[in-house]
Amino acid sequence: MADQMADHSIETKQTAVYVYEAPVRIWHWINAFAIIALCVTGYFIGSPLPSVSSGEASDHYVMGYIRFVHFAAGYIFVIGFVFRAYWAIVGNSHSKEIFLPRIFSKDFWDELWHEVKWYSFLVNEPKKYTGHNPLAILAMHLMFVWGSIFMIISGLALYGEGAGMGSWQYQLFSSWFIPLMGQSQDVHTYHHLVMWLIIVFAIIHIYVAVREDIMSRQSIISSMISGWRLFKDNRPTDD
Amino acid sequence: MAIQTPNGFTLDTSGERVVVDPVTRIEGHMRCEVNVNSDNIITNAVSTGTMWRGLEVILKNRDPRDAWAFVQRICGVCTGTHALTSVRAVEDALKIEIPDNANSIRNIMQLSLEIHDHLVHFYHLHALDWVNPINALKADPRDTSALQKATGPRHPKSSPGYFRDIQNRLKKFVESGQLGPFKNGYWDNPAYILPPEADLMAVTHYLEALDFQKEIMKTRTIFGGKDPHPNWLVGGVPCPINIDGEGSVGAINMESLNHVRSIINQTIEFVDNVYIPDIIAIGKIYYDAGWHYGGGISGTDALAYGDIPDKPNDFSAANLMMPRGAIIKGNLNEVHEVDHRDPEQIQEFVPHSWYKYDDESKGLHPWDGVTDPSYELGPKTVGTKTDIKQLDEAAKYSWIKAPRWRGNAMEVGPLSRYLVGYASKHTEFTDQINDTLGALGNAPVSALFTTIGRTAARALEAQWCAYKQRYFLDKMIANIKAGDQTTANTESWDPSTWPKEVKGVGFTEAPRGALAHWIRIKDQKIENYQCVVPTTWNGSPRDNEGNIGAFEASLMNTKVERPHEPVEILRTIHSFDPCLACSTHVMGPDGEELAKVKVR
Amino acid sequence: METFYDVMRRQGITRRSFLKYCSLTAAALGLGPSFAPKIAHAMETKERIPVLWLHGLECTCCSESFIRSAHPLAKDVVLSMLSLDYDDTIMAAAGHEAEAIVEEIVTKYKGRYLLAVEGNPPLNEDGMYCIIGGKPFTDQLTYASQHAKAIISWGSCASWGCVQAARPNPTRATPVHKVPGIGNKPIIKVPGCPPIAEVMTAVVTYILTFERFPELDRQGRPKMFYSQRIHDKCYRRPHFDAGQFVEKWDDEGAKKGYCLYKMGCKGPTTYNACSTVRWNGGLSFPIQAGHGCIGCSEDGFWDKGGFYDRLTDIHQFGIEANADEIGVGAATVVGAAAAAHAAVSAVKQARTKGDND
Repeated sequence: MADQMADHSIETKQTAVYVYEAPVRIWHWINAFAIIALCVTGYFIGSPLPSVSSGEASDHYVMGYIRFVHFAAGYIFVIGFVFRAYWAIVGNSHSKEIFLPRIFSKDFWDELWHEVKWYSFLVNEPKKYTGHNPLAILAMHLMFVWGSIFMIISGLALYGEGAGMGSWQYQLFSSWFIPLMGQSQDVHTYHHLVMWLIIVFAIIHIYVAVREDIMSRQSIISSMISGWRLFKDNRPTDD
Repeated sequence: MAIQTPNGFTLDTSGERVVVDPVTRIEGHMRCEVNVNSDNIITNAVSTGTMWRGLEVILKNRDPRDAWAFVQRICGVCTGTHALTSVRAVEDALKIEIPDNANSIRNIMQLSLEIHDHLVHFYHLHALDWVNPINALKADPRDTSALQKATGPRHPKSSPGYFRDIQNRLKKFVESGQLGPFKNGYWDNPAYILPPEADLMAVTHYLEALDFQKEIMKTRTIFGGKDPHPNWLVGGVPCPINIDGEGSVGAINMESLNHVRSIINQTIEFVDNVYIPDIIAIGKIYYDAGWHYGGGISGTDALAYGDIPDKPNDFSAANLMMPRGAIIKGNLNEVHEVDHRDPEQIQEFVPHSWYKYDDESKGLHPWDGVTDPSYELGPKTVGTKTDIKQLDEAAKYSWIKAPRWRGNAMEVGPLSRYLVGYASKHTEFTDQINDTLGALGNAPVSALFTTIGRTAARALEAQWCAYKQRYFLDKMIANIKAGDQTTANTESWDPSTWPKEVKGVGFTEAPRGALAHWIRIKDQKIENYQCVVPTTWNGSPRDNEGNIGAFEASLMNTKVERPHEPVEILRTIHSFDPCLACSTHVMGPDGEELAKVKVR
Repeated sequence: METFYDVMRRQGITRRSFLKYCSLTAAALGLGPSFAPKIAHAMETKERIPVLWLHGLECTCCSESFIRSAHPLAKDVVLSMLSLDYDDTIMAAAGHEAEAIVEEIVTKYKGRYLLAVEGNPPLNEDGMYCIIGGKPFTDQLTYASQHAKAIISWGSCASWGCVQAARPNPTRATPVHKVPGIGNKPIIKVPGCPPIAEVMTAVVTYILTFERFPELDRQGRPKMFYSQRIHDKCYRRPHFDAGQFVEKWDDEGAKKGYCLYKMGCKGPTTYNACSTVRWNGGLSFPIQAGHGCIGCSEDGFWDKGGFYDRLTDIHQFGIEANADEIGVGAATVVGAAAAAHAAVSAVKQARTKGDND
């Protein structure tokens, strides 16, 4: 990969900007693995593996382990999210982008429209960004940030059911969130549904990252590893 | 002015109108209006179902395997019988055959319901029509003890001290001035004729039965998990049998079977030693006093679908242990065959019901039924739409439709079943009937066609059911012994195996009478669900030809001691064990009725 | 008259433990020890609390359940603890005499009677889908509620709406707390279809014994019986954690008493006391008898998809589908779209490259 990038840099006179600070990068990958673990275990909580057909119940703990992994990954996800929100405050300007999209700015929407046209093959060249492009920001804000918030609240509300009425999870989350959604079964259902929303987001996210890495004017995937945004041309950025 | 009904009653509305609303000590909500002439004889009767819940509307597009749970909630008193009818309808539509053990378990559950329902009905809903608890305070407990030993000699609780304790408790209760359920009763009405010692015995048994009834349905808790509203399953029963394998404590095992047997034995004892003797004792006093009212159409038009299949999956009259057939126009020499699928036999009419048909001169078979609620009052109604003082029975006046069998208004229930059994010369029933008539002092068969007969038939049936429970427990144990522990057939559990479009019918004998559900399944969902229930038959309003229903007929020509105290009206209406939540929610077939139901 | 004290004595409680009970009660209520004799006096002499038990659209399963109570016996509740002055299922009076009782109790015991409601009123057709005394049931209900000390909503009908309120709710059956004109009264919900008999009588005896209402959760249910899910205390829970499930009715797992989760059991989402108090004198409960819980004490349990499906249906999208069906569908569409987009992108890139070359 490094060789490839080196080759590119010679041809296109790339310049580099430090965009993703180390905590953001570490968070990104921990978060990615937590989500994978959550989706896989979550799916098997909803639709369990074939029954373990022999032995005493105390000899096995299949659902127990699946649920343990789910809860552990869930806590990592929650703590990561809280940390990431904190970093949005103390980190560099790029770390704020997905939390506070500039939706009141006309430029934001103009640029977003440009990105839509780019993806619709209506323009030949995308704009150039050191951070995320506006479309990516909006998608991340709506699907990822709010999706995560929903999953954290609903997840802790469901966890609080097992932890009991005296637990902080129950007091802070289950007590109001379950009646708000109807009943426990509804919370399960929507928790499950938003998992699929996040999976759909992940598919788009990965596809677009790969595509942009190849077709756009800046590096994407490698940036989330090294932190450095590399540009493929010398023209000024658009953000 | 008098009107002659085709089914033989003369209606005269000239006398004073008496309204009873709510009719209490029934399931659900009901209103009754009668005209009483100057001799205090009832000359016209109007019965009205006063609730509608729209359950079949709600069932549309649901999974047929779930339907039992919905229809079970039609009624929590006859809980389970609708569920059983429903799973039978679905199994009929999908051609599912249930295992032998499942048939035995279902029969035990259904029989325990019959017994429980009959017992609770008699002691806790009906007894206060015959028994005066205040009068029981005058009794000498020694007389009551003597009466107990004479009528139910095998019942152990018979000492004078026992009755004195109960009497003291009752006395304290009455002296508290807080009469609770007995408040505002008609305790000085001369229609109560029992001597004080009999009243005390009956009140004592009221309390004993209240304690004991909770044991009877424990068989349903063992097999169905809870009661009211135990669990059922399309294709069999949900409880597995594991008689001696690994983990058998998690299923029906020897302990549960022993428990069931113990409950059955206790039930038989209570029915034999308390219920039957009480019925004979009280019935005889009223019968001897000449209270022979309340027959209505019970002796002329009776309908029974039959129930309790001996072998599983065979619903022919020969295999059903409860009788099946129809008797019309008083001809006991001919028992007609009943076919639920024949569009000419069972039809529902609505000219006097709060529903609309395109052509109300015709009746509709349940598979093609329409339900379009249409609440409107006739021009002679006294009062307003939301404050009815007096109904106009010439127009629409009830939430109950009028089902008819080949155009005849029919009575259903234990008495009808016994009549069909008697006419079929089925010795199990003829022997019981002859014994009872003997105990009433060699009374003629016509003694059966009264309010007393209706109440007595219920007790006889409870006894029959108690012994049949034992038969099916033995049968199940024999089957397990032969190596069969299967309780469910899951071949057609998966909806993807079902045909695109099917229809079926399921029936049972609910405690109150003949019950059937008709279902159409299309694309794995319920397309139409229709119930015609016992109280729809008995409580039906007039039909297009003017035939009156069984409730109305039974009140005709009854003498009331005090027109403004409805003791006799309640007595006769209660003898049917009305279930209004059941009767009043019939609906139609295709996708249209949702739009027709006025939702404001 | 038989007082609460008499009942306790008859049930074998000594004078000594009765007085001890009174001082404990005084302490539990936050009163000083000097109040104990007063409580004892009240218990020995006080009037039984009048109860109006009204019936709307319902199936009477709550009443049927109530009479099955093993401890205390329904007989003792009715004869010695309460004064059940109106209950159309068991009362001797009918018609005008019955209606007169409601009026008498409301006037005579203003603010001192309990209103128990079984079933609920329909609001469509001016309420005439349920008629009492020629008038809509709503009239009787709102009238009786005005001066009640508190309202007990028996069962899922009164608490949530239950079966007649299931989609499309043709009569607009409405749970008690949502009925217009219901006075601002404490409402104790005792949901279940029906509630467990001993839970019903325990709620009543709690009120009488401790002379206060039980602590309620946010939705108005007594915490003492509704604070945990059936799953939390289910005796089959170890099989759930082990991953041992019934896969098919009457299979090996069923015979060994494995977890019914895959058969659609709603125990994990249902707050009730079935797995602990159990039914009919603690004899059994649905899961013990081999059938999953159908969630009958939960709001809207009729409309959460099939009773035998683990994942519930979602109606909000105009189609009936569960989360997995929607999710797999969406992921497939998006995946296919991404693949198609990638293909077009590749062609475009190749063409652009060609142009540049």
